[in-house]
Amino acid sequence: MQAHNDKTVPYPLLLYVKLLAATNRYYLALAALLFVVASGALYYGVNAALRHEVDEQLGNQRQLIAALVQAGQPLRPTPFEDQLRVSSHPRPLGLADTLLPDPHEHTLVPCRQLTFQLRQDGKMMWVTLRKSLVETNDILVVVLGVMLGVVLLLLAGVLLLNRWLSGRLWGPFRHTLAALRHYDLQQHRPLVLPTPSIDEFAELNQAVMHLSQRLVADYESLREFTANAAHETQTPLAIMQAQLEQLLQVPALAHDPTAAPLLADLYGATRRLSRLHQALALLSKIENRQFADAQPINLAELLGEKTGQLAPLLEARNLHLHLHLGPTPALRMHPGLADSLVHNLLYNAIKHNQPGGDVTVRLTGEALEISNPGPAISGDPSRFFERFRKHHAAAESPGLGLSIVQQVGAYYGFGITYRYAAQGQRHTLRVAFRPVGPEGRG
Amino acid sequence: MKLLLVEDEPALRSTLLESLRQSGYVVEVAPDFTQAYEKIKLYRYDCVLLDLTLPDGNGLDLLRALKTDDAAAGVLILTARDALEDKVIGLDLGADDYLIKPFHLSELNARLRAIIRRRQFQGQHHIVFRDLLVWPEQAEVLVRGEPLALTRKEYDLLLYLLANPGRVLTKEAIAEHLCGDTVDAADSFDFIYTHLKNLRKKLQEKGADNYIRTMYGVGYKLSNE
Repeated sequence: MQAHNDKTVPYPLLLYVKLLAATNRYYLALAALLFVVASGALYYGVNAALRHEVDEQLGNQRQLIAALVQAGQPLRPTPFEDQLRVSSHPRPLGLADTLLPDPHEHTLVPCRQLTFQLRQDGKMMWVTLRKSLVETNDILVVVLGVMLGVVLLLLAGVLLLNRWLSGRLWGPFRHTLAALRHYDLQQHRPLVLPTPSIDEFAELNQAVMHLSQRLVADYESLREFTANAAHETQTPLAIMQAQLEQLLQVPALAHDPTAAPLLADLYGATRRLSRLHQALALLSKIENRQFADAQPINLAELLGEKTGQLAPLLEARNLHLHLHLGPTPALRMHPGLADSLVHNLLYNAIKHNQPGGDVTVRLTGEALEISNPGPAISGDPSRFFERFRKHHAAAESPGLGLSIVQQVGAYYGFGITYRYAAQGQRHTLRVAFRPVGPEGRG
Repeated sequence: MKLLLVEDEPALRSTLLESLRQSGYVVEVAPDFTQAYEKIKLYRYDCVLLDLTLPDGNGLDLLRALKTDDAAAGVLILTARDALEDKVIGLDLGADDYLIKPFHLSELNARLRAIIRRRQFQGQHHIVFRDLLVWPEQAEVLVRGEPLALTRKEYDLLLYLLANPGRVLTKEAIAEHLCGDTVDAADSFDFIYTHLKNLRKKLQEKGADNYIRTMYGVGYKLSNE
């Protein structure tokens, strides 16, 4: 269990943007858009209002001048020469924008001018009134500046508020997430989550708790089903086997030489059936992850023990055993599964061997390799691990051994690879205690 | 030898009972937890054959009761459950051995013999069969007083036969006894044959009678006639 928890699974959510960042992005976009629109509207609005004001002032001055002229007063030149210009040549009438050199700053400054006709002493005159727009521009700048400042402050405020809120409001969510991530169905306990004050999170927690309760219940019933199915099937098998064995003891069998072998075959078949059943029950137990308690396993010791147990088989087939036990890797496994793994690997190497061949076991800190000679096997190597896969159609074994190897490997995150070397005709099964990455496959 | 057989399945119980009685044991039976508990409290047994899954209780509790009473009885756990966990708990609680159902009756006999031998005679028990004398503690075999050198497997095989005198032993039972029950017995029949041939030869060299009979198509039998 430990081993497969330690396997770091990149959490897919991390690849995506955080919710806060995403909302902030939208806030920013909206604020920028509003700012542009509002700035534009403000600029044109204020600009129009100011020009209108300037135009009005120019109009007032015109009326004042006209009234003065009508009253017969002479049109005196003003000290601000550029603000009033009188010309005897015709000029375009009405309001207009113009640029005039500023005497102090020696630059061109935008101005508004109003030209009108006056008749003084029977002579036509064209009077141009001018007013600089520099002041109104200054006002615009200030207004827009203030506007920008306020918007920036608002944005900063929103960001900070959001950050603070996410720390505070999303706390329960993070708590739930952490609880889910560390949730282990093997413990047979439903999740217990607090009820946060925020409705949505409370609902979420309730839904998650409900889900975990159902998971636990389903898991339990599945477990019970497997156990019961195993129990219920093994009992009739046990009865059959025991009674057949008793039947073989009946003295009357001696009178009919054909009866006893029939019974013996039946006995053998019963035995095979129960063996098959055990293997399937084991596979389903592994798939249901019902082997939670891992213990430190000394693989070298286990290999020694298992090869000792299988020695008669090796001997009977005239196979040589080569054990190369290097530094034992520190493994934590369920003892039953470790036993199954080693047994099935060795057994497989013995079964698919050739007379006078060998079984070579190589254990290092990283991997366990078991190899044996034998003719090439046709077919896709990856399918050797499938259930009921047999190398020979007539083989007596149901072909579950390598499936068990693979399942145990998958359970602990071991990388299991099969290799066939045409030169020397050797089959090698390698169990890498660290999962094999794509670059490590060779 | 007095045994208590705790087993809830009637058909299995009667078959086991018959087999055990044939092997010369005095056997009492208990079909459930309650009766088994009563019997444990009232009587003394040399060995209790204990099914762990009982209709009205857990066999492990019976084991605990036995151990708190400090009863001398040996305990052999019989369980149908794929008992990787129960097995360990059972052995921790002081059970002597375990068998996972379905098991060979001849294997049951062999285990029972071993338990009783260990418990009652501190290992100082010898087996006599016709002209054979075996000291299991020292793994010593004497034929008519003369030591017989056997390989480990031959010795195991002989002991297995001796635990089941007069019984037909199937090839499967012998193969699994020698190789462990995870081996598909069919793969190992040829090596049983080899070992038996060697054992027979060695026995005959020492002048022992040929009491290992081959039952054609079935297995072997240690004849006590």
